[in-house]
Amino acid sequence: MTSDQTSTAGTVISQGGVAETPDGLITVGKTMPDGEAMLSVRNMKKVYHTDGGDIEAVRNLTFDLPQGQLACLVGPSGSGKTTLLKCIAGLLAPSAGEVTLHGKKVTGPPKSMAVVFQEYGRSLFPWMRVRDNVELPLKNAGMDKAKRDELVDNALEAVGLAHVPKSYPWQLSGGMQQRVAIARAVAYQPQVLLMDEPFAAVDAQTRADLEDLVRSVWKKLGVSILFVTHDIDESVYLGERVIILSSSPTVIQEDVLIDLPDERDQLETRSSQRFSELRHHVYEQIQLAKKGFRPEDALAK
Amino acid sequence: MTESTPSTGAPGHHGPGGSGDTHRESEIERLHRLESSSGSDRRRGDTRRHTDAATVAGLDIPTRPDPAAPRTSVAQSGVTGRPTSSGPSRATRKPRRNWGTKSLGLVGLLGFLVIWEVLPRTGIVNPTFLPPASAAIADLFRNFGLTAFWQAVGDTMWQWLLGMLIACISATVLGFLIGSSTFLRRFTNSTIEFMRPVPSVALIPLAVLLFGVEIESALLLIVYASFWQVLIQVLYGVADVDNVAMNTARSYGLGPLARLRYVIFPTALPYLMTGVRLASAVALILAITAQLIIGNPGLGAEIAKAQSGGSYVAMYALILATGLLGVLINLVMRMIERKVLSWHSSVRTEVAK
Amino acid sequence: MSADAPLATPVNLTEAAGGPGTSRSAPTSSPAKKSPGAKRAWGAVKGLFFIAALPVILVLIWYISTAVGEKNFFVPTPALLVETFFETWTGDRITTDVIPSLTRLLFGIAGSIIIGIVGGLLIGSVRWLRALTEPTLEFFRAIPPTVLIPVLMLLIGIGDDMKVAVIISGALWPILLNTIEGVRSMDEVLADTTHTYGITGFNRVRYLILPSAMPQIMAGIRQSLSIALILMVISEMFAASSGLGFTIVQFQRSFAIPEMWSGIVLLGIIGVIMSFIFQLIERNVLRWYHGLREIENAA
Repeated sequence: MTSDQTSTAGTVISQGGVAETPDGLITVGKTMPDGEAMLSVRNMKKVYHTDGGDIEAVRNLTFDLPQGQLACLVGPSGSGKTTLLKCIAGLLAPSAGEVTLHGKKVTGPPKSMAVVFQEYGRSLFPWMRVRDNVELPLKNAGMDKAKRDELVDNALEAVGLAHVPKSYPWQLSGGMQQRVAIARAVAYQPQVLLMDEPFAAVDAQTRADLEDLVRSVWKKLGVSILFVTHDIDESVYLGERVIILSSSPTVIQEDVLIDLPDERDQLETRSSQRFSELRHHVYEQIQLAKKGFRPEDALAK
Repeated sequence: MTESTPSTGAPGHHGPGGSGDTHRESEIERLHRLESSSGSDRRRGDTRRHTDAATVAGLDIPTRPDPAAPRTSVAQSGVTGRPTSSGPSRATRKPRRNWGTKSLGLVGLLGFLVIWEVLPRTGIVNPTFLPPASAAIADLFRNFGLTAFWQAVGDTMWQWLLGMLIACISATVLGFLIGSSTFLRRFTNSTIEFMRPVPSVALIPLAVLLFGVEIESALLLIVYASFWQVLIQVLYGVADVDNVAMNTARSYGLGPLARLRYVIFPTALPYLMTGVRLASAVALILAITAQLIIGNPGLGAEIAKAQSGGSYVAMYALILATGLLGVLINLVMRMIERKVLSWHSSVRTEVAK
Repeated sequence: MSADAPLATPVNLTEAAGGPGTSRSAPTSSPAKKSPGAKRAWGAVKGLFFIAALPVILVLIWYISTAVGEKNFFVPTPALLVETFFETWTGDRITTDVIPSLTRLLFGIAGSIIIGIVGGLLIGSVRWLRALTEPTLEFFRAIPPTVLIPVLMLLIGIGDDMKVAVIISGALWPILLNTIEGVRSMDEVLADTTHTYGITGFNRVRYLILPSAMPQIMAGIRQSLSIALILMVISEMFAASSGLGFTIVQFQRSFAIPEMWSGIVLLGIIGVIMSFIFQLIERNVLRWYHGLREIENAA
């Protein structure tokens, strides 16, 4: 049972649905037939065992990420966005459920996946220069020098850092450091790129540039991106789709299709009416989530 | 405008909505953060954690301010908003120990003792030269009942205490004096840098020559070595004083003594405590060494006697005793450091107001 | 695209005039009226003054107190000391005493570094191993290293290997414990990043763990150097028939006072040279670290 609404002006297309899961009737994100999706998250659950008892932080996350899509993930604080990302990245094991990449279950960091963290300063090796930083994953994979150089040069070019290969990361500004991290991911040529609130620690003007950078890199490489953010405007501006998480115990509250034009521009797009409507809707949902709204309650009605 | 300032990226706290957080949500957020560290025994939020630069008593000390310990990034600055250095932070670090860790440690210790017991008993090592652990420990306990033993301990501690007092007081005074004057600092810099690496044990022949087997020869060594530890730390402490605070104090008409008390001393205190702790270990080592080599009364002398007299069991027992003494001093100094620094941090916040 | 210019050209990583305190409250500059050439010359003179002034004064005091009046039994005059120094230590002694001592020292240091780093990497990375060994290591560390000399004498004899073992038994601990600490305090975001890019095994140690722990390791090595020197001297004073420590003690016993002093001075010189060499190496290896901290301090 899906709840597509017809796309008349002013209404927002919700492409999620409700499904019967091991955890009951749960709102889920949009899923695809088996084997079609690049990345598949099914019934992911996270329970913490503390001295005070078990805390069910994440109840059920189910959605699919098709090939080449740029999807954004938003949610209130404590909704487990980062936990979700780390489970997908294979850095953390969920309590239940599974994540599959290309049909293969994710048990550790998969080869064709790259992650860009929020703390850029701590994700770059301070003892290596920029170029060496970008090169390292390729070197580790055993690639020969000529090919490595080509990829690294292209990546640095793509993020606009061709002029600082010999600097150390800590000599660069915050925005540039994050570009280095992005360049490193780009050079790695992953099929899925996970980004964990990468621009949260960067100032607003730099953020705008980096957002456009992400879109341009995405278009150029055709990579699938899962972009976690707390910035609602950013999620609508960037994504082809925004997955809204509920408050804890987290489920997918809504899966919104972003039908903005393909060519996006900070000025034009952000002042368009459709952007406004979408943003308004997402904001409303987040506010509901923060107030403790439970999607199951809506279902019960 | 933060555009051109480099930063290491903000840790931890994601996004807005803090005002509406229920307790549960913040608890879950905390759990998410804790869980997502790749090693659960690392504290989340640590960038480079401070090292305790004073492991075994370095009889010479690091050659530059806070060199040993990597500092935290600015983003991880402590409550006062200023990066802390190796000295003070050590006192506030609380390792997350649980019963599993403790019991494993105990197992390790017991394992070591078992090996020590087994090696001589099975003849792998000549039991005359390495008596089994049980024999040594038994003799140690026997010693606890002998006045001669406690006399030796007392002698050792007395030399230690005297040497520490002389060294710490003179080094503190000199340190504050030199540190507060740029001229003096530069004037003495080359001499200090040159004299520091000179090993204190080089002075042993001189000490013997001058004082023979008296306590003064031990004191010469102890004071010489401990002095540098404290002096260097105090100098770093004074150098770390915030210029803004100093200028503010001056503009409020605080005289030199008042400035010393309210601005310089609080800043330098953590460093001073580090220096004292380093010096305490050094002082013990040198006291024992002096007794061992020169022969003035104390545990070291007893060990030498036991060794030359062939009573090796007694020798091992005494060595265990010195180890225990070292551990004890270390623990006591750490406790003192913690107490002083916790008092100090409460005082500091007052000063800041 | 806005201009993300790098913050600074690669930081000038040559050391400013060393020692404590020079960084913050630097002295005010000389009057602006001087020409650049004169300012530089004046700066050089000032620098020289500060380096040499106190030592010269001390030497003068020494000279006056010993050369004037009757000959002091305990302390030779500077002139006599210099003369004795070259007499004593240039010649046969170099090969019979100095070189063997230094060789033992070097072997001891090398052994400490290797065991300390390898052991530290191992213990630091395996959590249960660390929990297992930590109290035992703490206890061993607390034992004054000199006290183990009689033990090692018993077990190994009084040959060269005993002296090297003595050096290692004491100089090992700072390196080992600091390495463990360095491995433990590794940044977890960096560790996660390394994990996601599939960098494991030897590469992980080489590119992540070792460089990350290097500041701590260097600090440990610095402490080890001084301990090693001390233990070298002590082991030779206590149980040897050759070597620097032994020779100096012999001088003292036979009341060859100026020679004894010259030995002390030689030990001091060795200590200073070791410290100097280490600083050079550390500056090079930890260039990135010093640059990083400079930036952080400036922020």
